Amino acid sequence: MIPEITELSLPALICAVAALYSCIRIVLEKNTLRKLPFLNVLTFAVTGIIVLICPTPLGIAAACAYFIGSTLESNAIASTWAKRAEKEKKDAQEKADGEAAQ
Amino acid sequence: MNGILIVILAAAVLIGTFGAAISKNPFDKLIYLSMIFAGALPFIIEKGYLDMAIAAAVIVPVTTIITLQAVWRCRE
Amino acid sequence: MLTEIAQIIIAFAVSFILYVTIDVLAGLPKEGGVCGAAAIGEAVEKSGGDIHGGYMLGNIVCSPDASAGTLLAACGVCLFGLWGGLIAAVFVYIGNRICSDKGYAGTAGALVATLVIWGLANAGLIAPQSFIAGMVLAILVIQGISHKYASRLLGKLWRLRA
Repeated sequence: MIPEITELSLPALICAVAALYSCIRIVLEKNTLRKLPFLNVLTFAVTGIIVLICPTPLGIAAACAYFIGSTLESNAIASTWAKRAEKEKKDAQEKADGEAAQ
Repeated sequence: MNGILIVILAAAVLIGTFGAAISKNPFDKLIYLSMIFAGALPFIIEKGYLDMAIAAAVIVPVTTIITLQAVWRCRE
Repeated sequence: MLTEIAQIIIAFAVSFILYVTIDVLAGLPKEGGVCGAAAIGEAVEKSGGDIHGGYMLGNIVCSPDASAGTLLAACGVCLFGLWGGLIAAVFVYIGNRICSDKGYAGTAGALVATLVIWGLANAGLIAPQSFIAGMVLAILVIQGISHKYASRLLGKLWRLRA
C-alpha cells in the first residue's frame, strides 16, 4: 500500500516552491498579524514535504504533530497580540480620561 | 533528498535567521523562529529520526507559548 | 491514469471546492472563533478586504479546520489507505480541542475528504500524492496571493449562503 515515491517528484517540487514563495512574502509583509496567513501556507507546504520525503507509517503522526503544534503557535501569537492591543487601548483611554478630569 | 529541496529549505532557515536578527518587533521575531523550525524539521525527518521530530514538534510550540508571557510585558 | 500535471490540476479543483464549501457551510466566516482570529479579520479589513472573509482567514490560521482536514486526510490516505484518513480525522479533532474550537468543521472535512480521496485513488483516477500538491496550491490561492481579493471572494460566498 505504501507508494513508491521517486526523488524528483512533481508534488514535492510544488510544495517546495510554495514554501519559498511564502518565506519571501513573510519578509516583505509589514503588518505582524497579516504575516500569520503566510506562515500558515509555509506550514502546509512543510507538512506536504514531510509526508512526501518520508513515506513510512509513522510519518502521519509526525506530520499531524507538526501541523497541530504550528497551528497552536499561530493561535497563541495572534491571541496574545490581540489581548495586548486591547490592553494598550484601554490604558490610553484611562490616561486620556485622567487628563480630561484634571 | 532532492537537491532543489535542500536548497529551498536551507534558504528558509537562512531567511528566518537573518529576519529574526534584524527585526525589531518581538512578535516578528517569534514568527521568524517558527520559520526556522519549519525549514529545519524536514532535515531531521529525512534521516529517519521520526521520534525526535515528533518530540521537537511538540516542544517548540510550548516554548513559544512560555516566551509569549515574557513578550507580553515588553514595550516597543 | 492521467498525466501527473492533469492529476494535480483536477486535485486542486476538487480540494478547493471541497474545503471552501465545508468551511462556508460550517459558518466559519460568521465571526472569529477565538480573539486572535477576530484580530486577523480586522487587520485584513483594514487593508481593504471584507470583514467576513477576514474572519474566515483568521479561523483557518488559528485552528485546524476543513483545509487542515483535507491535507492531513490526503497524507493519511497516501501512507496508510482508508485507515490513515480516519487516524488523521482523530488527530484533527484533538487539535481542534487543543485550540479551544468546537471541531465540527475540521472533523467533518477530514471524513468527507478521506472518502473522496480514497474513492478517487481506488478508481485509479488521481494518486493521493497529487492531492497533497493540489491542497498546497489551494491554500496558496486563498491565503498567499492577495488577502484583499481572497477575503472579498469569501465574503461574497458567505452572503450567498446567509
